[in-house]
Formats: sequence, structure tokens, C-alpha cells
Amino acid sequence: MKKKLICLAGAMILGAMMLAGCSSSGSSGNTFTVGFDAEYPPYGYMDENGDYTGFDLELAQAVCDLEGWTLVKQPINWDNKDNELNSGAIDCIWNGFTIDGREDDYTWSVPYVDNSQVIVVAKSSGITTFADLSDKTVGVQAASAALEVLQDEEQQKALADTFKTLQEFGDYNTAFTELQAGSVDAIAMDIGVAQYQIASRGNDEFIILDEHLNSEQYGVGFKLGNEELRDKINADLKTLKANGTFDSLADKYELSDMTCLE
Amino acid sequence: MSFQVILQQMGLGMLKTVGIFVLTLLFSMPLGFIVAFGRMSKNIVIQGITRAYISVLRGTPLMLQLMVVYFLPYYIFHISIGGWRYPAIIVGFTINYSAYFAEIYRSGIEAIPKGQHEAARLLGYSKVQTFFRIVLPQVFKIILPAVTNEVITLVKDTSLAYSLSYIEMFTVAKQIAAAETSMLPFAVAAVFYFVFNLLVSTVMNQIEKKMSYY
Repeated sequence: MKKKLICLAGAMILGAMMLAGCSSSGSSGNTFTVGFDAEYPPYGYMDENGDYTGFDLELAQAVCDLEGWTLVKQPINWDNKDNELNSGAIDCIWNGFTIDGREDDYTWSVPYVDNSQVIVVAKSSGITTFADLSDKTVGVQAASAALEVLQDEEQQKALADTFKTLQEFGDYNTAFTELQAGSVDAIAMDIGVAQYQIASRGNDEFIILDEHLNSEQYGVGFKLGNEELRDKINADLKTLKANGTFDSLADKYELSDMTCLE
Repeated sequence: MSFQVILQQMGLGMLKTVGIFVLTLLFSMPLGFIVAFGRMSKNIVIQGITRAYISVLRGTPLMLQLMVVYFLPYYIFHISIGGWRYPAIIVGFTINYSAYFAEIYRSGIEAIPKGQHEAARLLGYSKVQTFFRIVLPQVFKIILPAVTNEVITLVKDTSLAYSLSYIEMFTVAKQIAAAETSMLPFAVAAVFYFVFNLLVSTVMNQIEKKMSYY
């Protein structure tokens, strides 16, 4: 019995060690480590086969193909994105990453998607304008661009002050479930994500308000001062735009009317 | 995504969860003994250090400890932490659980009546002999239920590895839930955790039975 237990323990340890060996990741040599939030479709998410994909990740893959790098897709905890980037665990944040308001915090690539922050409500709620949101509970993702807009005095702080509460949540799936269940009345988020969420939930329950919170752009964020890598990616994005790869990817993810890469 | 793919992806995530679980137990259980002896030491310095160790590790959230272990090397020494992710998780979990195990061990060791030590001494046992031949076998029996508690908690705590962007089972569930805009993966996660814990408690029950020899 004892021997059996020891054998079993040994086997488990060996297995665990092997797993440990597989999972080490770094940003050395010819690898390009992209940090992304894997709960952020259509920019980065898990596809039908359980692989990470999305508009941004396919774009990153196209860049790696040009440069001859190996793409490492590192899903990150969005709250820790700065630590991950500054410590060198990832080379860039490429994941529907809003430039506006963060201009001085990262070294930015050229903007490639024009994005707005919008409010999503249930069709049956009767909310059609920002004025209707007064005394309502509004959800917003923690550490997101939408939250920054709603907290900025110069932007929509005044609107946010009319809300009953501004409810922060971790991911959009939870937020939409809460919206469905009626525990929040509206959600503030990026228009691209809103369109994906609404389309995959059958299009008939939710609407996006015509008024937009703001207009902003997505870029690839690099560690402050990492201009060498930034310049490479900028050049590659230009090449991908010129040879049509960029547009066909935008088409695939139904983002064509939102791109802004020249 | 078909249900089969969901199961498959979450199964792969479960392997990582089990990896954290096994390595944490492997390192924290022995380390707990060292800490427990430090805590019971008559040397005031050693006792003070281990008291502080236990106090800090039990008094702060595990998630915070994981972040400290992972990011501190960069922020203090400015060294790149590429590749440090998985070791950091194991180190974080190990030191946290060693503090709890240490207190469980101490409770078991101190539960042995002083009379037994005195009787053993009278019979000519040395201190080391007394500990290994008389005290320790009884300690194992006393602490087993408490250890089982801790081990089951560990299974569920593994989901905290997500704070260091380690994609274990629960994180996979969240990602699939986001992509599929469905809550089904969470139900699957619940079943995974429950079945695994059922397995753990069955094994611990067996061990308890084996040890009920007097």
C-alpha cells in the first residue's frame, strides 16, 4: 500500500514538473509576446477549437509572419497589464487598447481602429437617451476606457454623477447576464465589443444608444520608450494595409467601418 | 464551441490546476513542519521570526502575496521576470499554505500530554526517539481532519493563479464563457471542482481509516 502511494505521488510530481516546464514563457530571442485579455471578443478570445484568436491576435500573427518572429499569445489579467508590460513579461499590449487618455503612459503605435464608448441597454427598458439614465445603475468594466471617460471631469463625469450607482465588474459576460437579470440597467463599453455581444445574444434584446460617450482610437501599447519595437510594428502595419491583409481581417471580424489605418 | 471542446479545454486547464495543487502540497507540507518547529522553538529570535512569518502570511490575502512574489523582483532589483510566472505561483502558494500547515502541526504536537514525554524519558527514550516513535504517529492522526480541510481549500484557491495571468481551469471557464456569451462553462467548472474534491476527501478518508489502529 505504502509503495503504491509513493509511486502515485511520484507520478503526480513528475506530471506537475512537466507542466511547469511547458509553461515557462519569456520575451527573448525571436519571440514576440503579446499580452491580451482573452475575455475581450472580437479582439482577443477563445475560438471554436479552444485556440486564442481575434482581430488583434490575427493582426499580430501577420506582423510576426512578416518579421519571422514566433508569436506568443499571453492572456493577462487586465488589472495587472502595467506590471506585466513594465516587468518585461510581455512585449506589448495588443487588445482593443484605447489610446485616448493614456497617451503619456505608453509608447503607442499608429491608431488602427476608430472606437467609441457607448451605452447598451435592454430594449424593453425604455431608455433611449443619456437623460433617461438618471438614477439608474450603470455597469462598466474595471480599469476600462469607458470607466475613465465616466470619471473624467472634462468628459462624462457630469453624466456619471446622475447615475444611481456606477457598478464596476470584471468581464462583459457577467455584466450582460446582470443586464438580462435586471440588476444593472445599462452597460458602458466599446462599440466593437458591444456589437459582438449583442450579435451573439440574438440581436433582439439589447440596443446601443444613439448618443456616444466619446470617440477614441485603438493602438498597440508598448513600454514607455520602446520606440525601436514600435517603429517596426508601425512599418509592418503599413505593409499589411498596403497588401490588403489588414482590410480582409477587418472584414472577417466585421470591423470594416471602424478601421482608421492609413 | 461544442460541449466536447469545452470539456477538453477545461480538462487541459484542470491539469494545470492539479499541477499547482500537487506542487503546493509537495513543498508546503514539509515547509510547514520547519515553520512549526520554529514557532515552538525556545530560541526567542527564531520564535519571533516564525511568529511574524505566520502572522503576515495568514493576515494578508493570498492574491496579494502572489503579486508580491511575482512582481517584486522586477520592482526592487529591476530584473526581467520572464519565465518566473509559474515558479512565482508555486512559491506564493507554498509559503501561504506552509503558514497554515505549521499551525495545524503545532496544534497536533502540543496536544500530546506532557505525561507521555515524561514516561518515555523514564523508559530511556531520547528526545528525538520520543518525538519520532511516540509523538509523531499520534500527531498524524490528530491533525488529519484539519489537514483535509486545508487541502480542499487549496483546490479551490488555485483559481487565484489567475491574478498572475496563469490560465488554469477556472480562467479557461471564464474565457469560454466570454467567447460563447454563456454561463454553461461555470456549471462545468463547479462539477470539475466538486469531483476533484470528492476524490481528495475519499483519499483522505482512506488514510484516516488506515490510521485508526488504536
